[in-house]
Amino acid sequence: MADTNPIKQFEIHELVPFEAFGLNLAFTNSSLFMLLTAAVTIVLFTLAMSSRALVPNRAQSVAEIIYGFVADMLRSTAGADALRFFPFVFTLFIFILVANMLGMFPYFPGPGLHSFTITSHLIVTVALAMLVWLTVIIYGVFKNGPKFLKLFVPSGVPAYILPFVSLIEVISFISRPISHSVRLFANMLAGHILLKVFAGFIVMLGAGLGVGGYVIGIAPFAMTLGLTALEFLVAFLQAYVFAILTCIYLSDALHPGH
Amino acid sequence: MSRDKESQRDPSKADLDDLQQRIDARREKYKPAADNAHNSAWSLGMRYGSEFFGGVLVGGALGFGLDYIAGISPWGLIVGTMFGFAAGTLNVVRAAKEISSGSNGG
Repeated sequence: MADTNPIKQFEIHELVPFEAFGLNLAFTNSSLFMLLTAAVTIVLFTLAMSSRALVPNRAQSVAEIIYGFVADMLRSTAGADALRFFPFVFTLFIFILVANMLGMFPYFPGPGLHSFTITSHLIVTVALAMLVWLTVIIYGVFKNGPKFLKLFVPSGVPAYILPFVSLIEVISFISRPISHSVRLFANMLAGHILLKVFAGFIVMLGAGLGVGGYVIGIAPFAMTLGLTALEFLVAFLQAYVFAILTCIYLSDALHPGH
Repeated sequence: MSRDKESQRDPSKADLDDLQQRIDARREKYKPAADNAHNSAWSLGMRYGSEFFGGVLVGGALGFGLDYIAGISPWGLIVGTMFGFAAGTLNVVRAAKEISSGSNGG
């Protein structure tokens, strides 16, 4: 009987053991999929843009649409001067999108090997969210100096409750990387578990009831089919949400105090 | 008549304006379909949930840290969690504003 444990897909395996300074720095399947994500992105974009035609072919159109999509998103949420962050936001968006899409392969890179969604691990999404958060703080202070603190002092608040409001604003600001990372992580984790649970029902029914079980198994199979389509939507949507929140936060670094 | 004269003076401009108008009309027509794809109830709920959860967690953690440093347990945790709730609510209100203003993030 196939393994129906729905969370086995999130296990980390050491592929190349490596230890340094008393730390386990092994090359794991998670590292492999991060490398794959970067490699797939670079190869696809290089191939798509290789013709550099004035009238683009299909692949080049897709690459240009993604480029325009991220540029428009950045311009509309954070203003035209935010375009200096375009490489950063574009890289984040593409990295998460490709990583989510690679995680949608049931068997990849080969039979017997399971796929791995790097964004279903909190440590990865926290690292990405902290990158954005620290960029906002460092660039905000560098560009605006003390005026960056206006972010925590909303205008039009009476002086006697200002300390409380500022404290709440500070807590709200610190909580940003948490909600930013938990959302991406939880969406990917929950979606993949749900998918595996319903797929597991088919196997369990077949093992328990024989041929009749496989006939009833059509119901969870249809559900799995529908959920797979939904998961593709979520994979794109969460990359988009992560990128647009990055834009909103970067706009705070550029124009604090609205 | 006057319009004919104008277009004779600068026919290319009239043509271009007409074309621009038609393009704008088309764009308006196809716009809403693209926007609707960016929201699902599940991700919206996850957005609000994580915003609120983050606020409470950070408030509680700050209070707990204050307890640890100043040795005023359990008051730091209690007050910190209350401020955390306030910050979480603020986060949710901001998220709702962003989503309803159309700039989105659901």
